[in-house]
Amino acid sequence: MQRFNLYQEEYHPSPLVNIWLEFRRSHIALSGFVLLVLFLIITVFAPLLAPYSPELQNTNAILLPPSWEPNGTIAHLLGTDGLGRDVFSRLLYACRTTFGSSLVIVAISVFIGVGVGALAGVLSGLRSSIVNHLFDSIMSIPTLLIAIVMVAILGTGLFNAMMAITLALIPQFVHQTRTYVRNELQKDYVLLDRLDGASSRRIFIFSILPGMVELIVVQATIALSVAIIDISALGFLSLGAQEPTIELGASLSLALDVAYVAPWLIILPGMCIFLMILSINVVGEGLRSALRNRLHH
Amino acid sequence: MNKILSVNNIEYTHTIKSGLFGSLQSFQLGPISFDMHEGETIAIIGNNGSGKSMLAKALVGAVPLSSGTIDLYNSEASDQAVQTKIRTRGQDIRLILQHNADALNPSLSIGSILTQTLSLNTDFGEAQKREKIEETLVKVGLLREHYYYYRHMLSDGQQQRIAMARALLLDPKIIVADEPFAALDPSVRSQTINLILKLQNELGLGFVFISHNIGIVRHISDRVLVIDKGKIIEQGLTSEVFLNPQQPVTQKLIQSHFSMVEKHFARL
Amino acid sequence: MALLEIKNLTLFIDTGNATVKALEKVNLVLNEGEILALVGESGSGKSLIVRCIIGAIPDYWSIKADRITYAGQDLLNMSYEQRRQIMRREIAVVFQEPTSSLDPSVTIGEQLEESIPDELISKGWFWQKNKQRRQIAISLIHKIGIKEHQKYLSAYPHEIPKDVSQKIMIAMALASEPKILIADDSTRGMESTTKIQILRLLLKLNKTKNLAILFVSHDLLAITSVAHSMTVLYCGQTVESGRVKSLLKRPLHPYTKALLDSAPSFQVSLPTKSPLVALEGTIPTLQHLPAGCRLGPRCPNARKECVQVPAPRAIQDHTYSCHFPLHLPEKLSHQAQRISKGIGGDE
Repeated sequence: MQRFNLYQEEYHPSPLVNIWLEFRRSHIALSGFVLLVLFLIITVFAPLLAPYSPELQNTNAILLPPSWEPNGTIAHLLGTDGLGRDVFSRLLYACRTTFGSSLVIVAISVFIGVGVGALAGVLSGLRSSIVNHLFDSIMSIPTLLIAIVMVAILGTGLFNAMMAITLALIPQFVHQTRTYVRNELQKDYVLLDRLDGASSRRIFIFSILPGMVELIVVQATIALSVAIIDISALGFLSLGAQEPTIELGASLSLALDVAYVAPWLIILPGMCIFLMILSINVVGEGLRSALRNRLHH
Repeated sequence: MNKILSVNNIEYTHTIKSGLFGSLQSFQLGPISFDMHEGETIAIIGNNGSGKSMLAKALVGAVPLSSGTIDLYNSEASDQAVQTKIRTRGQDIRLILQHNADALNPSLSIGSILTQTLSLNTDFGEAQKREKIEETLVKVGLLREHYYYYRHMLSDGQQQRIAMARALLLDPKIIVADEPFAALDPSVRSQTINLILKLQNELGLGFVFISHNIGIVRHISDRVLVIDKGKIIEQGLTSEVFLNPQQPVTQKLIQSHFSMVEKHFARL
Repeated sequence: MALLEIKNLTLFIDTGNATVKALEKVNLVLNEGEILALVGESGSGKSLIVRCIIGAIPDYWSIKADRITYAGQDLLNMSYEQRRQIMRREIAVVFQEPTSSLDPSVTIGEQLEESIPDELISKGWFWQKNKQRRQIAISLIHKIGIKEHQKYLSAYPHEIPKDVSQKIMIAMALASEPKILIADDSTRGMESTTKIQILRLLLKLNKTKNLAILFVSHDLLAITSVAHSMTVLYCGQTVESGRVKSLLKRPLHPYTKALLDSAPSFQVSLPTKSPLVALEGTIPTLQHLPAGCRLGPRCPNARKECVQVPAPRAIQDHTYSCHFPLHLPEKLSHQAQRISKGIGGDE
């Protein structure tokens, strides 16, 4: 038989690539994505990017305003705080803590949530309905409240706060996964896979999971913004990260004391939180509409 | 002609529990027995809810039998490579479902769907799998390039061809199809029928299909089984059953079709 | 007399990056008391035409038509209120999926009663009105050939078989005593026994109530047994229309011929198990419409001229759009064109 490919150069985008192509069409979503990547770079490379050590106290320059103010110097780009520490460096480290810990939280809760959800979806009967109703009832309580209760029991600290938020985020992934898996298991292609001899585990990993990735990604963006808000809220309430860990919410609360003298100490971390949440939500929304539209084009 | 399949008194009881405290409703399929010969086409007809689809599922092993046996007779080895492994019933009797959006996984490429079928049932190497898949795609009238395609890029007819390729991939002896033509458009339907006829000629496949299109049944089947309330109420050569149906259910099914055909010819 | 007339309907759909002509110069005439079959495969735009008639048009569609009239009234240039009145009382539609068109949380009886317009209820106290509604609902159920009305009126949609819910949908459509019934693929995927019941019902309604029916389907067997005339649609273009009899006897368009050939029951001479005549390929998607006659790439006798859209030509009331019609010598086809020029003078 003749063996040459007629359309070798033709591009065959997979559903995931299609989402990216569709996502790229929206400029707002793309700029949100760029911002998100920027935060990611800061998270990974903060020690390299920061001009000073965040702990270094420059006693010659206390409460210096940002460099564009008349009194500011270019040496401290965003000024200094009440102890003479460089705000820019501290901000980079704070972003690193907040964003990084949120990413870890979401990653862990996705992993656990999808695992438990898949199990609940494959199981049937009483066990499945116990898992389902238990997690559904937890979902009705706001995550921040659960987190505060848990911190109250476990004690303050970044690690405890992260654990509390992780536990609070898991149920939504369990719920989503379970519903999706339940739904897919009814479909004909699963029957055909079964007839090919595939086990339940194999069907989940090779047939159902690829289709679920997009759903998880969208859900994870929502969870990420919730996690950032919760981490910084707990930090602000001094229930989360403690000194010397630098965190956006905690630095916000520290700056409250000198709010009238140095408003930039409040505005800058606040802006960071705002931009983080904004970029994540814009990307999430872009992904959702890309998912909706990708098959129309 | 060699006998390739014999179904002996298979039975299956399907119970549905309606509501939490509802009564158990059960549907009894069988006992059903019939034989099948090489290259033969058997059509299963019957009213809605008569158990046609359940019989198809019982044949391919999608539902467990409560009693009875399904025996396959190995004639000559068709493909050495596949024969090295002990074949199960699921490999020799393959299922094609009615064309619908759920019959193909939307998030996997055709290639990876078909590769999975091969890796679960054969011990082929990567290159061998690829070769086999492409060969089968060509066999059902598609291109090698369809390996990279996803469901949303294929038309209805092409999707049904993929289903056919998936069934043929394991070199089965018998293909069971549940309403393979129902959701297809007339011209695509003709293409699919032609393809099945061609493949049957080439490979000597046994073909069992369910259809409510009496015209197609008459055209392509050798024998018909008429099912009602889970049991075979009439069976025989298609031409004989159609000429002289015995049971009222059969008469009704056939007459309602031919009354339409007669109207058609009355207009010419 | 033409009850519903569509002349040169073109429907543009905005897909985001381009505007495609989903329907191109579609013509359709439904006469009073006639059953017209609208024949086409999926993707041919049958349902789009139905939506254009009933006016359920999303923002990204735009319509251009010489006229869409109902009993002489222009549907395109009438107020929303007027059009709604016509849709409510005169034209009834039965959609494809009966199970999704019925409200799953309300009983059949209540839904049926709800569809009866107030004008049909004579004056009285509300309990008398309710009783009347119930009476009308029962008589509607009887009318469509279901005798055990008690069993179905109190049932929920998921409890009744599919063919019964299709009949219920027809009953609901009949509640307002319409002049036109549009049945959108009502017999799809049905057993021949239940199919023939629906067809008999439609025929009976047509005969006894002089109801005009637009029967949208691709089931040729069903069409030829009920319809008087038919319009064949391919990919948004009308390819041929006329009396069913003349189309069956002598299809002029290659597509019509292919459709007729695809039903094995129509070929008595065809030996069993012989291959059927089928057009190669599939209907193109909206994004990849060919220029000119859209059947072009699949047509067995396509020639150079087919990249131009063929103008509709008529021989008596048999209209076709093809440069090289079947069964027609070259000379005669030119004659036909002249005839159509004579007819088309008023355009």
